[in-house]
This record gives sequence, C-alpha cells and structure tokens, in this order.
Amino acid sequence: MPAQTFEATVAPHLDAAFNYARWLARNDADAEDLVQDASLRAWRFVGSLRSEDARAWFLTIVRNTWFDRFGRANTAPTVAFDEARDDRSDGTPDPEARVIAREASDRVQQAIAALPADFREVLVLREFEDLSYKEIAAVVGIPIGTVMSRLARARDRLQDLLDADATEGAPT
Amino acid sequence: MTCDDAARVLDPYIDGELGPAEADAFRQHVETCPTCRGQLERRQALRRAIRRVPYRPAPEHLRTAVASAPRPRRRSIQPLLAWAAMLLLGVSLGAAGAVLAGRSRGTAAAEVLTEAVVDAHVRALMGDHLLDVPSSDQHTVKPWFVGKIDFAPPVTDLSADGFALVGGRLDYVAGHAAAAVVYRRRQHTIDLFIWPDDTVGAEETASVRGFSVRRWSRGGMSFSAISDIGPAELAAFAGALQR
Repeated sequence: MPAQTFEATVAPHLDAAFNYARWLARNDADAEDLVQDASLRAWRFVGSLRSEDARAWFLTIVRNTWFDRFGRANTAPTVAFDEARDDRSDGTPDPEARVIAREASDRVQQAIAALPADFREVLVLREFEDLSYKEIAAVVGIPIGTVMSRLARARDRLQDLLDADATEGAPT
Repeated sequence: MTCDDAARVLDPYIDGELGPAEADAFRQHVETCPTCRGQLERRQALRRAIRRVPYRPAPEHLRTAVASAPRPRRRSIQPLLAWAAMLLLGVSLGAAGAVLAGRSRGTAAAEVLTEAVVDAHVRALMGDHLLDVPSSDQHTVKPWFVGKIDFAPPVTDLSADGFALVGGRLDYVAGHAAAAVVYRRRQHTIDLFIWPDDTVGAEETASVRGFSVRRWSRGGMSFSAISDIGPAELAAFAGALQR
C-alpha cells in the first residue's frame, strides 16, 4: 500500500519537480540531487498527504529540501543555462526561424534566471507549472495577496530586463 | 473601473484568477482605454515569450534512480504507530463511508469512474505504454482504431489551440474497452478516453491526486480528459474539442 501510494502520487509529478528544481538550483546536477532527496522525503511522508493535490505537495517538499540544504539566504550566483537544449518543443520547420526562436527563448530564460529568487519562483510555478494562486501560496508559504503582488512585480522586472536586452542591440 | 483598478487586476486577469464580474469590468475598461490595453498586450506578449522557453522533463536516469532508490525507513515504523495509523484510517474511512452513503448513487458511480480514469492515466504514464500509434496526424490515428474496437472514436487535431496530437492507444477503463487519444500541452500529457455510452450526464470536472479530470458525453460517446495541467486549461481543451 505505501509503495503504491508513492508511485501513484509522486512519480507522475517528477517532471514538474525537476523543472522547478532546475529553476531553484539553476543547474542540472544540483536539480537532480534535489529531486532525489525530495523523493526520499516524499516517500517517508506520503502517509501524511492530506490534500488531494499531490503535485503542489511534492513541489513544497522540493522547495523545503532546497532551503534546508542551502538556507533561506541562498544567493548562488546566476548561472546561465548552457546545458544541452531541448529543440523538440518548437515545431518550426524552418531552420533559420528555429535558430532565431531559440535565441529569443534563451534570452527569456536568462532573464528569468536573473530575477531575484522570490520573484523567480512564483513566476516559474505560475508559468511553467500552471499552479493557481492558491496552490502557489501553499507551496511557497505566503498569502495569496502576496502571490499576486510578487507575480506582478516579477513580470514588471522581467519586462524591463527584456526591454533593456532589446535596446542593447540584440536582434529582435 | 479606473486605470489604477485595471493595473491592480491586470495580472490576476491574465492568470484567470478574477471572478466573472470583475473580469467583465476589466475587459470593458480595456476596450475604451488604449493605455491599459497596451499594458494588457505587453503582458500577453511576455507570457507568449515565457511559454516558448522549452520545458525540460526529468531525465530518464533520474526517473530510474527515484523509482529504484532504497527506502529503509519505512520498515522501521513502530508497530504501535502503525496500529494508531490503522485506527485513524478506520475512523476516516467510516466517516468517508457515511458521507458517500449520503450522496446519490450517481455521484458515487461518477467518482468510481473518475478514479478508474486516473488509474488508467497513471498506468500509461508509468508503464511506458503511452502510445500504440505515435502520430500527430489525425488521419493516421483515427483509422488505426478501426478493427480494434467496435466504435469509431472522433480524433481531432488541436495543435492550433495549443494541444498537439501525439497519438493513440487502446486502453481498458472501468470495464470498457476505450480509445485513448493522447495530446500534449508543452510537456504535459493529456489522455482523452473515449467509449460508447448512452447515459448522458452533465459535464463535470474533478481534481484527484493532483490531476484534473473532465468528463462529458456527446453523440452517444463518453469522453474523459485527464492531465496534470490546471482545470482551466483542461476546460479550454474540452471546449476546443466540442467546438
């Protein structure tokens, strides 16, 4: 029974956990460690899962594992994502258009990575994991009103970063 | 609505977090105010740019490592604790039973069906058997079912709506042979289970174990869509299918 519960609740959300961990850790190796540790914890505590939302619960554990390891004042230097990129999700057949699209998405990715951690995580949970404000509030442990204002400020900041990027002469 | 109000609800609006009345008020304001409309368009462009960033799924070796990690601590649980847990479980099951008994039989049947849909989806995701026919072409996927099941499931390509068709498989859900048509939204998998069913019920949405499930009937067929995307997106998917 516990094994089944674990497989059914946690395993389907590994992609979400890894993606979120990558944005927290900002490199693949740490993200993998983080997800492994978080999975062990999830295994131990899966019996305490009360809410129906296993994904938000697992993401909360990922987040707690991260902060337990590195502390709240974690200010790891911004590392650009330079690992192998995933071209699949961009269905453009034209190679040149693909390169341009990829450069644009690289710029966005780097701008998100450059956001302050508090802003980055609400943005990532909203845009990449489609979490509702309520779910984000539960994962991050802040009131819904704070989710809303942080998200707004994160987007303002991101828009500024990308605008500054564009005026520096990058092709658009 | 003033421009200050509009600025305040801009983000909740694009996130689908506003009530219908407030969303209407915002839309009306934006129609008459070019400044706020510009802000809205900027936000929407930003969202499109963000969502073009590739979503990286967990690498296979991580998946394997998590699935096969040793888990010694489970076994050291004190027997007393285990008994306490059993007792608690008994009490809550009793309570759940009482609640269930109070509901109509139809609701209970719908819940059983929803659970079966979740199980079938998880089975497919974990068992590495998501697709019998991998294809993004509806004219390949639809005929593939011919001769394998005794009905012709509708297969629609929804890539224009952001739901890419990736293929289909045969599945078995709650005693029905079902056609499973598989879509992808970014890296999220959506299973659409279809089987013949004349008992037409109202469209319903449920949230189970972190998955959104939406069920409806049409043309003598029962449709059950399930995914780990949010309920609002799944509703958009159902809406696109029923257009």
